[in-house]
Amino acid sequence: MNNLAIFIALIMFLGAVWTVLTEDVFKAIVIFGIVSLMSSVMFLLMQAPDVAITEAAIGSGITTALFIFTYKKMEERKDER
Amino acid sequence: MNSLIIVSIFYILLALALSYRVFKGPSAVDRVVAADSIDLLTVVALVLFSVFSKRAIYLDIALTIAILGFIGTLLISKYLEGKL
Repeated sequence: MNNLAIFIALIMFLGAVWTVLTEDVFKAIVIFGIVSLMSSVMFLLMQAPDVAITEAAIGSGITTALFIFTYKKMEERKDER
Repeated sequence: MNSLIIVSIFYILLALALSYRVFKGPSAVDRVVAADSIDLLTVVALVLFSVFSKRAIYLDIALTIAILGFIGTLLISKYLEGKL
């Protein structure tokens, strides 16, 4: 179980660093979804299932949808600036 | 260590190998398909962990990820198609 947590933390670390360092916003949205998913698994390994359910619902579902809608709006208004 | 945990670690290693394709993928479609595959591998690893720890509430998290990850992938695909 500890080895499982180590590999999940490795994916979370690489994804978080790449999310900060990348310049394209679309790549950052896709990788942020993976980081949120892995943090949900990490909450489960720390034996907090209710927090893990909430994180999976909000982080993996609603946040990705909201960011995609915002990215669409941002692209539409790019030529105004 | 139980064999279920070993198989679960193997699935997380496969997710680590897929995350290379997410980071270095040439096009956006590669990244989205690899992210959806990571979702599915995580669901399988969570089901194995639920069987290992013998608690039924852990299975609900796998169900939630399997449903809502699909919705996120669907929205990104509709955006890439241009019909959002």
